Amino acid sequence: MIRDSQRDRYALARNVACALLLAAAPAQAADEKIDPEADRKALQAFVFAKFPKVAKEDFGNGPYAVNAEMRKQWLEIMQFPPYELALDEGRAEWEKPFANGKHYADCFDNKGVSIRQTYPRFISATGQVETLEGAINRCRAQNGEKPLDPMTDTMASLTAVMAESSRGKPFAISIPDDPRALAAYDRGKEFYYSRKGQLGVSCASCHNSPAGERLRGDILAPTVGITAGMPIYRSDWGSMGTTIRRIASCSSQTRALPLNPDDEDYRDVEYFISYMSNGIPITGPGTRP
Amino acid sequence: MIRAVLLAAGVAVLSLPALAATQAEAEAALAAAKAAETEALAAKAAWTTTEANLSKSVKALAACNWEEAKATADEALALARRSVEQAEEQKTIWRNAVFR
Amino acid sequence: MTKSFFAFVVLSVAALPLSAHADDVKAGQGLALDRARGNCLACHTIKGGDAPSSVGRELAGMKRRFPNRADLVEILTNEPRRNSIAPMPPFGRNRILTPAEIEQVIDFLYTL
Repeated sequence: MIRDSQRDRYALARNVACALLLAAAPAQAADEKIDPEADRKALQAFVFAKFPKVAKEDFGNGPYAVNAEMRKQWLEIMQFPPYELALDEGRAEWEKPFANGKHYADCFDNKGVSIRQTYPRFISATGQVETLEGAINRCRAQNGEKPLDPMTDTMASLTAVMAESSRGKPFAISIPDDPRALAAYDRGKEFYYSRKGQLGVSCASCHNSPAGERLRGDILAPTVGITAGMPIYRSDWGSMGTTIRRIASCSSQTRALPLNPDDEDYRDVEYFISYMSNGIPITGPGTRP
Repeated sequence: MIRAVLLAAGVAVLSLPALAATQAEAEAALAAAKAAETEALAAKAAWTTTEANLSKSVKALAACNWEEAKATADEALALARRSVEQAEEQKTIWRNAVFR
Repeated sequence: MTKSFFAFVVLSVAALPLSAHADDVKAGQGLALDRARGNCLACHTIKGGDAPSSVGRELAGMKRRFPNRADLVEILTNEPRRNSIAPMPPFGRNRILTPAEIEQVIDFLYTL
């Protein structure tokens, strides 16, 4: 049995050796070119190879795409899609004019129809990533309305309407030729791969290699396509929720204190994840266990 | 026999302060834990379990349970420190985990 | 009477480690199955457990697979250090389990 003091000395020796090796090795992190397309191609190749029987357009259905048993359950659920009520509520909210008489449709290209697959977007004017929920709130602010909490089903029902109008359209996230946009993508990638919380796991540690594996009664969805089904009616919540709501709840599950829903980290990681899903058709709004 | 009992009792009483935490110690431990957690929050690295231990410590203090207050504060301090350390470590090693 | 009494005392003392070990195995099992502690069933299938998890390998044949106890200590303390993409939490490093608790979990694992 290794004693603590022995283990610490061994760990110290290993860390020193590691540091020396890293110092001798060519500097990778600093000089490494940010290449989103290379990242996407590599990850998608892995996922498609791991699940050869799954059609590309199915990856947006997450666990239901990669597990036959779950798929059967899902097809039954989809006879009466649980997000239909949210869609009705969302449409009513979308049509309602603001106090100043304007509408949500006035804020968006194409009146907000069939544009969901381009979000999140990098906004040059602010140098920041904007999610669909952020765009909704920016629209509200521009028209003198208070922001909606992105953790609520009211927000989710609105973005559900926008997602529904994009159903089947492939994710088309754009990273403009702007170092700030590339930096936001890279920060999102860092967030995805960094271990967090007391459980010390990263998004990638569960959704890359172990995708499709069983975690008690759940099946781990692969990274590729993981936001294509958003927003979701999640049985566990008994209500509709946005990507942010899901990321925050997953953070808590790993014993990381969730950040403010508008935090740049969350927007950047959604940018990264969605870019990894470029080419995967939108399947939102969706349903999950 | 009685002498043995008295001796044992005396030793027990004398050793009590060494075993139990004082109010001052508990409060100091909680202050240290809160400071460490402030750092963790600033680093966006805070853990839910740290917060849970801090809450327990605050409750124990309010109930004058100095032993429990100090123990949970000490644990919160250790968790907060580790959470910051993990975030620092991850800044450089996350790239080792990147899928290529 | 003194001889048998003496024998009784010696045997009882000799059996203490055995009963202590049985206690450790039981404690280790409790920790392994507790969702708030080891929560091993979340990722591993364990015979007699109620979850067919497949994120990690089934916990069986442990004595054969891990003849060196120190390896299991490392795995339970900080598996991500050994494997940068491991989905396994660093139970020891992040204070999810204490070093003593890790030893108890290993005692339990060696019965699988």
